[in-house]
Amino acid sequence: MTQNNPPRSAGLVAVSAALVLFSSGCVTSRVEDARENVTGLKEGESVVIMAKSYHQGNETEAGYISCIEDALGRGSQGLRVIPRQQFVDSLFPWFEPRTAPAETKGLTKLMDRPGVADIVKDMGVRYIVWLDGDTETVAQGGSLSCAAGPGGGGCFGFAWWQKDADYEASVWDLEGYEAAGTVTADVSGTSFLPALVVPIPLIARTQSAACKGLAQQLKAFIVQ
Amino acid sequence: MIAKIRALLPVCLILLVLAGCGSTTTMEDPTIPAPQTEKIPVVVALRIPEEFNNFVHEESILGKESWTINLGRSNASFFEQLFGYLFTSLTVIGPDDDARDIQFDALIEPSIDGFEFSVPTQSQTEAFAVWIRYRLRVFDREGNNASNWTVSAYGKSEKQGMNGSKALQRAALLAMRDAAALIIMQMDKATQISALANGGLAPSAEEPVQVVVDSESDQDLDSADDDFGVFVIGGIEDDSE
Repeated sequence: MTQNNPPRSAGLVAVSAALVLFSSGCVTSRVEDARENVTGLKEGESVVIMAKSYHQGNETEAGYISCIEDALGRGSQGLRVIPRQQFVDSLFPWFEPRTAPAETKGLTKLMDRPGVADIVKDMGVRYIVWLDGDTETVAQGGSLSCAAGPGGGGCFGFAWWQKDADYEASVWDLEGYEAAGTVTADVSGTSFLPALVVPIPLIARTQSAACKGLAQQLKAFIVQ
Repeated sequence: MIAKIRALLPVCLILLVLAGCGSTTTMEDPTIPAPQTEKIPVVVALRIPEEFNNFVHEESILGKESWTINLGRSNASFFEQLFGYLFTSLTVIGPDDDARDIQFDALIEPSIDGFEFSVPTQSQTEAFAVWIRYRLRVFDREGNNASNWTVSAYGKSEKQGMNGSKALQRAALLAMRDAAALIIMQMDKATQISALANGGLAPSAEEPVQVVVDSESDQDLDSADDDFGVFVIGGIEDDSE
């Protein structure tokens, strides 16, 4: 009897580990684009990913912007992405949250300012992608309680939560000083946390899915 | 002895809960990038006030935590860099220096009118936010008050990937950059400092202009006789630099 326990425990641990590693919650996503103008990227041209101003209430997470930057630049077909801090510092103070142009109609005037067009040209920036939106928990429920004592501890119950990730990327073409179009990602994910002694998290990677989907579509949108 | 300790223990626990935890952040000197603007042709003296050498602000949340930010010399460093970029010539003087000993067209005295910050437990978000309200007093070479301008700035930084102290520092730095952007864009328009170049004097020594910048909208321009309000967000429609 006692000889059978170790393999059974090991099996239980292995199954639990597999569940944790390979299971995830449910994610539904919708990624769309709306084109206004023809796009394309010549050799040496690059893109910069920016967040719309928090002065205007935008809450786009820094981690999400970095994720889009990484995803666009990754792979053999990766785009040349200029780090946003380098771009903003080089053009100080014209892309600060307070001063950044809110519409493409301000681009012509901005480019006429001393040094601005030269810096943009030197960096090879063809497109500015403005990100707007965020990920937030929209619903949650269930009950989970944990207890520990001298003989051990454990959890019992079930909890769940739903996150919505809504992002919009507006693409501005610095060649014609015009809007090229928008790409939107609307992702909803529900995570579950059942616990019978050991909690088994089934996490829906909502923001990650929104990043992957938007970056993929954005790359296709820009390159065509 | 043990009985005494036992009696004091609940009192200590209550005090501990009321006092909460404390965090102290010491601000490093900020770096303001060189602005892509033309310099204003004015010889300026910048008087750094005593408070800029060691500015400390504390926010306490009853029963939870207290946060202290020590800005040290960061404000002095910020204005020295900013005005060095903004004007053709800058001389920095201390709080006790006699301005009559140096040559200048305009003397600027910055001060802090207000400093506030919020932490995630207060705002129920993942972000630290900092608000700074600077006051810039501009004097002509005769010592007449030419302008009095308040500049409100805001910076926000997520906690994500950083500890609270770093995030608060970043929010303060972003607030300073925000102030810098506004000052670069509006300094001459708001204070008419370029009129003081080459011996120009303040329009009226008896009635210095009171300038309040950063009200919520341009409608405030007409709200007071001597007040002038400008707030710029999301674009650069005005011609000032």
